[in-house]
Amino acid sequence: MTRIKRGYIARRRRKKISLFASSFRGAHSRLTRTITQQRIRALVSAHRDRDRKKRDFRRLWITRINTVIYGVGVSYSYSRLIHNLYKKQLLLNRKILAQIAISNRNCLYMISNEIRK
Amino acid sequence: MIFPFPSPSPSLFLPLPLPPSFSDIWNNTWYPKAKDHINTEKTWYVVDATDKILGRLASTIAVHIHGKNLATYTPTIDMGAFVIVFYCMNKFSLLETCSYWYGSGFFLSNLTQYVNAEKVAASGKKRTQKLYRRHSGRPGGMKVETFNQLQQRIPERIIEHAIRGMLPKGRALFNHLKVYKGPDHPHNAQKSIELLIRDKRVQKQR
Repeated sequence: MTRIKRGYIARRRRKKISLFASSFRGAHSRLTRTITQQRIRALVSAHRDRDRKKRDFRRLWITRINTVIYGVGVSYSYSRLIHNLYKKQLLLNRKILAQIAISNRNCLYMISNEIRK
Repeated sequence: MIFPFPSPSPSLFLPLPLPPSFSDIWNNTWYPKAKDHINTEKTWYVVDATDKILGRLASTIAVHIHGKNLATYTPTIDMGAFVIVFYCMNKFSLLETCSYWYGSGFFLSNLTQYVNAEKVAASGKKRTQKLYRRHSGRPGGMKVETFNQLQQRIPERIIEHAIRGMLPKGRALFNHLKVYKGPDHPHNAQKSIELLIRDKRVQKQR
């Protein structure tokens, strides 16, 4: 077989990868072997967390709504609010309710009072 | 920016926080900016722990430190308030009030049952039966104390231990709790407000 130098093939490949890791901290953006590993870990985290993100935000909205709803009065809670929402077939989702809870608390109280009737 | 107006709940009587900053309210979930959680502008609360049931008091305090009573709660950011807990170990303040009510013929022996009253309370037989354990790390190094013994030694630790178990791990939030034996605390400059406890069973029943 004739002699074949590998040339710049590997360097080109690694340059693409290191572009991805250019904002990483310390050795993770400087050393080629570490860069490949960290890039893989980063992509795995991103893939897994795209699904987690949906769960995490829903949790956050529920917590925020719960906090504000407890201020309505005795024995009113997030669970009762959601039950009333479904009973009256009001299609507001938790994201919107949470944003209303933060920006305009009285509006949320008005909605919950309307649904309770 | 929508300005929140006072709501009919007890928060009407507490200082309202600044309206949180908003941009595109319907497509982006609100996340606090730096100016929404400046340490120097956080609320400071004061609680008197005498004669309050330990766990119920600790639960309310932990909620306030964690920030879970606020609509702007964010798990990754410290949005909670500071809480100062103080309680009197001094038995003589009760003696003064008793002699005022009953006249000066009131004997100290009548008061012996009330001396334990001016501390954090625990229902049932927990005073003698609740154990606080710690381990020095060496074999056979487990140290066990009852509630009563720890209260004689370091009374602040009881409240701190209870609240620490109710907060997320790490020292950041725990350092927002300040516990003092006695009615004084060095935080007069913070102009703290009374912490409203909504739990009806927090006061020790006689």
